[in-house]
Amino acid sequence: MGEAVKSFEFKQCVSILKSTGKKASSLRELRDVLSAISEDSIFHHTYQYFLKGHILEYTNDFAHWAGESLEERALSEHLSSIDPYDFSSIAELRKRLLKAIDDYLDMFPEPRGAMAGDEFYFNQTMTLTFPAGVRVRNLAEFLIAIKYIDAGCIYYHFYEARVRLGSGVDDFSAWIQNVLLKKEIADRVRTIDPFMHSVEGIREHIIEVVEEAVKKDMEVIGK
Amino acid sequence: MISQYSGISPTGDLLLLQKLGAKLRKKSFLHVNSTKAGGGVAEILQRMIPILNGLGINTRWEIIEGDDRFFDITKKIHNAMQGNPEKFTKDMWDHHYEINRMNAAKLDLDANAVLIHDPQPAPLIKFRKKGKWIWRCHIDVSNPVKEVCDHLMRYCSKYQAAVFSVARFARAMAIDEFIIPPSIDPLSDKNRDLTAEEINETMDRLKIPQDRPIILQVSRFDRFKDPVGVIEAYKTVRKYNDCILVLAGSPATDDPEGEIVLNEVREYAADDPDIHILLLPPFSDRDINAMQRAATVILQKSLKEGFGLTVSEAMWKAKPVIGGAVGGIPLQIVHGATGFLVHSVEGAAFRIRQFLNNPEMAWRMGEKGREYVRKNFLITRQTRDYLSIWYSLENKGRNILEL
Repeated sequence: MGEAVKSFEFKQCVSILKSTGKKASSLRELRDVLSAISEDSIFHHTYQYFLKGHILEYTNDFAHWAGESLEERALSEHLSSIDPYDFSSIAELRKRLLKAIDDYLDMFPEPRGAMAGDEFYFNQTMTLTFPAGVRVRNLAEFLIAIKYIDAGCIYYHFYEARVRLGSGVDDFSAWIQNVLLKKEIADRVRTIDPFMHSVEGIREHIIEVVEEAVKKDMEVIGK
Repeated sequence: MISQYSGISPTGDLLLLQKLGAKLRKKSFLHVNSTKAGGGVAEILQRMIPILNGLGINTRWEIIEGDDRFFDITKKIHNAMQGNPEKFTKDMWDHHYEINRMNAAKLDLDANAVLIHDPQPAPLIKFRKKGKWIWRCHIDVSNPVKEVCDHLMRYCSKYQAAVFSVARFARAMAIDEFIIPPSIDPLSDKNRDLTAEEINETMDRLKIPQDRPIILQVSRFDRFKDPVGVIEAYKTVRKYNDCILVLAGSPATDDPEGEIVLNEVREYAADDPDIHILLLPPFSDRDINAMQRAATVILQKSLKEGFGLTVSEAMWKAKPVIGGAVGGIPLQIVHGATGFLVHSVEGAAFRIRQFLNNPEMAWRMGEKGREYVRKNFLITRQTRDYLSIWYSLENKGRNILEL
């Protein structure tokens, strides 16, 4: 009998949008509200952007609004290049976002305001987490699960975990390294850049890494 | 009941529904609105109440009754909340309140959670006995007449939470405000899978040929839906591609302008035999479903829109869609991914031609659109959201909850 391995339990989160009642119709207003809005709202417009499944033209809602509604492309590029996972706190992330806007306001003429109805609406979320009912004990089971679980599970374990645990590490690579003791595979999963992919893109990359490892394992057994 | 959605709705939504159902089992949930039939609210409630009861939550749906004057007043409130100037007197507001008071005396408002839909029954909050009361606003209140809005908000601010369909519709209120978009039921007659025979039967009966690509817009004959703009776009496309146009809508009995717009549309279509203008009787859901499934490209070229759920209906059938960039349409169409957003007749014509000439791209966007609706706009998601709000209110409004 093999030694019992601690299984990986997939969890999932569902977020429901809440309005803060605050909005901005110009860049200056965006700056003012951003400087005082709740951390929950900043979290939603940056970290949770990846949950929305957009095409990665932008990487947060502020950049999206600057690009699409104000049509300020350079500002949009500056805001898009801010990776929330580079910051250890939302206070620091807020500072960096404000600096990008302030620098832009210093350098360029005041941009036009947004059209009526196209203002920036500051939201936040109410989040429910729950077990997805899937538990895996080895890489092969993990591979099947990762192919079919809801995108909300991947978001929870790959994106949200970095903030939840405060260590910047996703749950998948932590389990593969600490429980399955497969450091090389864990490293490859860990280095998939969350900032450069949508949730579905992350799924594809994890499948690629794990599938290769499972195939290799099976070849060894076959010999 | 919920098992009927297995393999259709996202697993996570069904799982969460079951978990919330287990937490709220045997509790009572009351919905109140002002009509059992007609309109999107009644349509979705008819489908949602059985789902909630199926989860073990004792769910009821009550209707408030009123005289003609009451409904004249509430129609005016509805219009004013959507930005149309209306004159109000104290007497009108008193009548609005009085009818609600009379309904409160007749209705059993005793429930663990009460969801009050739209402004008509909003004053019922004054007669709350217990439970969590939530005001659900389905209309666009982004630019209301201030005095009317202020008066209504005196009631709405007494609720524990408010729910709006789009973030832009939410107002600065002192209570929790949630954003919950509306949804479609994939199992209803309007959206369920149809056999080829069922589709052909409708198309033959309505005398719509299927030998050429079909461009379709389903909507009331209302200027905000821009039916004349759709014909203009079609006429441009016809210079390059052979196709037919179908404009299908029900006669709007509550809209005196409907007849005028319909005549304009007929006049503009002139005697083009390839433009089919169809006036469908109410409850033509299956025929609409069949036409959407037979169509090659579906338009919702609105100039003003509430949410525009016909877009999700079309996307659910994996059709390439083109929508005006107004109201809730941009929430459904991710431009270039699940369809195209347009701002002009020329834009609409160009995108129709793109779809007709690139069937592979049309197919790809259609498939993405269906998946987008599956994840975001099915009734199971909306039911899940309502229960989540209720559960959060039961837990002191906490923003992170573990089940």
